[in-house]
Amino acid sequence: MRDITLQVNGTEITRSVNPRRLLVDFLRHDLRLTGTHVGCEHGVCGACTVLFDGESVRACIMFAVQADGHHVETVESLADDPDHLHPIQQAFWEHHGLQCGFCTPGMLLATKELLAENPSPEEAEIRAALAGNICRCTGYVHIVESVKAAAEAMIAQGGSR
Amino acid sequence: MTTEAQAPRFFGARVKRVEDPRFLIGGGRFVDDVDMTGMLHACFVRSVEARARITSVDVAEAEKMPGVVKVFTGHDFSGSEVRCVSAYEGFQVSGYPALAEVEAKFNGEAVAMVVAEDPYQAEDAAGRVFVDYEPLPPVIDAEKALLDDSPLVHDGWKGNAFVERRYESPGFDDAKQSAKHSVSGRFVMARHSGIPLETRAAIGDYDKGTRMLTLWTTTQIPYLIRTGLADAIGFPENRIRVISPDVGGGFGVKAQLYPEEMACSLASIDLGRPVKWVEDRREHLLTAHHAREHTHEATLYFDDEGIVEALEAKIVVNMGPYSVFPWTATMDTGMAMGILPGPYKIKHYSVRGYPVATNKAPYGAYRGVSRPAACFTIERLMDQVARHRGLDPAEVRRRNYVTGDDYPYRSAGGLEYDSGSLVESQDLLLEQVDYSGLRRWQQEEREKGRLIGIGLGAYTEQTAHATKEFVQRGVPIVFGYETSTLRLDPNGKLVINSSIHNHGQGLETTLGQMAADALGIDIADVRVEYGDTSQAAYGSGTFASRSAVLAGGAARRASEQLRDQLARVAGHNLEASPEDIEFESGRVFVAGTPDRGYDFDQLCRMVYHRPELVPEGQPPILEATVAYDAPPGTGTFTNATQIAVVEVDPGTGGIEILRYAIVEDCGPMINPMVVEGQIFGGIAQGIGSAIYEELVYDDDGHLLTTTFMDYMLPGTTEVPHIEVFHLETPSPFTVGGIKGMGEGGAIAPGAVIAGAVEDALAPMGPVVVDQIPLTPERVRGYVDSARREASR
Repeated sequence: MRDITLQVNGTEITRSVNPRRLLVDFLRHDLRLTGTHVGCEHGVCGACTVLFDGESVRACIMFAVQADGHHVETVESLADDPDHLHPIQQAFWEHHGLQCGFCTPGMLLATKELLAENPSPEEAEIRAALAGNICRCTGYVHIVESVKAAAEAMIAQGGSR
Repeated sequence: MTTEAQAPRFFGARVKRVEDPRFLIGGGRFVDDVDMTGMLHACFVRSVEARARITSVDVAEAEKMPGVVKVFTGHDFSGSEVRCVSAYEGFQVSGYPALAEVEAKFNGEAVAMVVAEDPYQAEDAAGRVFVDYEPLPPVIDAEKALLDDSPLVHDGWKGNAFVERRYESPGFDDAKQSAKHSVSGRFVMARHSGIPLETRAAIGDYDKGTRMLTLWTTTQIPYLIRTGLADAIGFPENRIRVISPDVGGGFGVKAQLYPEEMACSLASIDLGRPVKWVEDRREHLLTAHHAREHTHEATLYFDDEGIVEALEAKIVVNMGPYSVFPWTATMDTGMAMGILPGPYKIKHYSVRGYPVATNKAPYGAYRGVSRPAACFTIERLMDQVARHRGLDPAEVRRRNYVTGDDYPYRSAGGLEYDSGSLVESQDLLLEQVDYSGLRRWQQEEREKGRLIGIGLGAYTEQTAHATKEFVQRGVPIVFGYETSTLRLDPNGKLVINSSIHNHGQGLETTLGQMAADALGIDIADVRVEYGDTSQAAYGSGTFASRSAVLAGGAARRASEQLRDQLARVAGHNLEASPEDIEFESGRVFVAGTPDRGYDFDQLCRMVYHRPELVPEGQPPILEATVAYDAPPGTGTFTNATQIAVVEVDPGTGGIEILRYAIVEDCGPMINPMVVEGQIFGGIAQGIGSAIYEELVYDDDGHLLTTTFMDYMLPGTTEVPHIEVFHLETPSPFTVGGIKGMGEGGAIAPGAVIAGAVEDALAPMGPVVVDQIPLTPERVRGYVDSARREASR
C-alpha cells in the first residue's frame, strides 16, 4: 500500500492505496464519485475521461498512485444542482446532447477542456476535440450542437467558469 | 363516457427530457454504481476454444488465493440452463448452461466462476483455474454447416439448422417463368453487435431470512428476466425481484437472459452474500450476444419498365450454438423472411430460411433485427434493376413502391402495412437535397477524376408489433402488450409506473407527455418509474420500437380513465354532467364557466380525503392500470428514405461521407427532438455496420476482434452531420396514430453507403458491392474488380 495525497474537485484527499489500483476504481469505489464511468478499460472509449491538472486523461489506464500530488476534476466538479447547472451541462440538456447518459460525463469534461483552449470552435474543431469520446446513442449531431451552444453561452457570460 | 381532451400542450412539443439532470451531474445510478454490505465480486474463467470437451477443471490453487471465497464450476450449477424452444415444427432444442460442464461450445463461454472479496483478487485467482480442453472440430461457417458432411454442433441433432422454414406464394413459379429479366446476387452482412457503452453487469442478492432473491442487472426486459430466471434455475418467481436501474445503452444486446445473471443468482443463493459481476470489454466482445450475420442469395424478376414481379431468396443466419431467451433462434430468419420484399409491391415470393447452429458466440437482438440485412439485399437488387434497365435508382424505386391507395397492404411476406408515404418521402428527400443538381455536380466532379457516388435506400419499418406478430413467429412468449399504472396522489401529482425500460429513448419524458395532456396538468407534476419488477404490473420491456406506442398508449388510456373518474366526481359536486367537465392548466371546471370548478389538486384531495363527496360506486382512490395491445397486432409501419453522397479513395480504400440526409415518417411525433436523436443515433450505428464494425473469427473459431483497437466504433469524425426531414402519416389503428421509430435509422445505411460506393466506382468499371462492412480492404477489392471488369 502507498499513501497518496491529491486534490479531487478542489478538496485535498489523502488515502492509502494499492499501487496497482486504477485511478478510475479509486475515484468510483474509494471516493464514491461514480459519475466517472468505465467503458472499455483500455483507453479508447473516453467514458472515464477526467481532467488531470486541467488536461483530459483516461482514468482507466492510469494508476491512482500516479495522481499523487496532482489535481483531478471529475464530472461532479461541474455543478451538482440540477437547478444551477454549468453552461456546458445546460447546453447538453437543452440540445438533447445525451441519451443513455453513460458517455456524458466524459463528453462534458472533454468539452470543458476544448472550450478552455478554444472558446468559439468551428464544427470541425469540435469533432476533432471529441474524437476520443465514443457515444453509442446520439450519432453526435446533438452533441456537436450542444458544444456550439455551450460556447456561445459561456462567451455571453464572459468566459469560462 | 369519454370526456374531451383539450388542445395538446405537451404532445408534439420539443420538451426537454426530464431524465437528463441526473446524468448531467454524474448522478445516474448504474449497476456498477451499486454497493452493498458484504458484497462479493465474481470473475469468470472462459473457454479459450470454440469447441472443446472439458476434461477437468482444477480449482485447488485458485481457492487458496487471497480473498477467494469459492470457485464454482459447471458441476455446481448443473441443470441450470436456458432452453428457449420455438413452437415451429421440427425445431431442434439446445440448452445454454450457466457454466459449461461437459463441452464448451464457443470461444468465451463461461466454464468457471471465481468469487472473491475484491474484484482484483477474483481476477487474479481466475488466472489460477486450470481447465483441460480436448478440442473438437468447430463449426464456424453457417453455409458449410448446412452441408451433409459438416460436424454437428449438438450431438443427436439432424443437421445444424435449428429449423428450416419455407414459404412460397401461389403462382410464384409462373411469375418467375414469365418474367423477362432478372438480377441475382449473394449479399453478405458481417457479424457485429450493438456494443452499448456500458458493459453488462449483475448483482445476485439472496436474503436467507425472507428467501427473496434480488437480481440487479443491466437489462431492457426486467419482467421477462424474472420469468426466464425462475424457469432456468428452478426458483419460485414470487421470490424473485429484478431491478434494472439506469442502463447505459441496450440496443437489443441487453434484451436476453444471460448465463452470468443465472450464475450471480446461484452463487448468492449458495453463499448468502451479494455477488457482483461487471463485465469487461473483452468479455463483452466475446460473449454479449452478437448479431447481424446474414447471407442472402436472392433474385428479382422484372419487366422492361423495371416493375418487379417476383422475388426469390435463401436466407442463412449464423446463430451460434444456443437458442436464446426470450427470442429463440428463429427471430432473425423469420423476420428477414417477412420483411425482405420491403417497401415494394412484389406479388410473388419464394423464400427459404435457415437459422444455423455454429460455434461462434450466441446470437441475439440488435437494433433493427434482420431488417438491415433485408434492406441491404432488396435495395442492392433494386440498384441492379435500375442499372439493367438504364433507369435512375430513384425512378425504379418510385415505380415499385407501395402507394397511398394500396394501404392497408398485405405484403408478399405476409405483413400488413397499415399506412405510409414512400413516394412522398422520397420526393421530399430528393427535393431537399436537390437530387438533380447533385447528379449534375457528381458528373462535373467525375470529369475531374473524383470518385463521387450517391446511394439511396428506403424501408418500411415494422414497429410496435404485438400479439398477432409474435404468435406467427412461434415464440414461446407472445410479447403482446405493455402495461402502465397511473396513480394520482392527494396533492394531484402523477406517478406513471410502466413495464417498459428506458435507457436513452426519452420515455421518462414522452410517457409523461402522453399522460399530462389528458389531465390538463404540467409535465413537471408527472414522474415515470420503471425497471423494478416489484413496482408495476407485468409486461415485456423495451425493444422492437414498441415502448412509446404500447406503454405510451397504455399511459394515455389510463390517464383518460382517471380523467373520466375525476369528471364524475367534479360533475357530482358541481351539479353538472361529467361530459361538460373540462381539464385545462391545472383547473377542472364546467365548460364555459371556468370559475365553476376546482383546482386539480383540490379535486384529487377530495377523492382521497372526503369520501362522502365521492359519488356512490366510485372508488376512493385514483389509480388506473391499462395493458395495451396495439391493433392490428402485426405492427404499425414507419417509413423512411435515406441518401448518402460519398467519395471513395481508390488508393487507400477509404470512404468519406460528404452528405447524409433522411426523410422519416413515423406518424405524429410525441417529441420531435427525441425522434431526431433516435434517428441520428440509428444512422450512426448503421454507418458502423456499413463501414467499420465486424466481429472477425479465425478458422478455428477464435474471436480476433477483442478490443476497440480491432473492433472499430464510429466516432465524431466518422459520423457526418445528418440532415433530417419529417412527414407525419398517422397510423389508422394506434392511440394518437403514433408509430414506433427507434430502430429505423440503423436499417438503411448499409444499403445506402454500399449503393453510393458502387455508384462512385461506376466510372472505373461495373461492380456489385455485395458485402459489408466496407473496410478499406474490401473497397480495394471492389476497386480491383471494377478495373478488371473494365479491361475485359
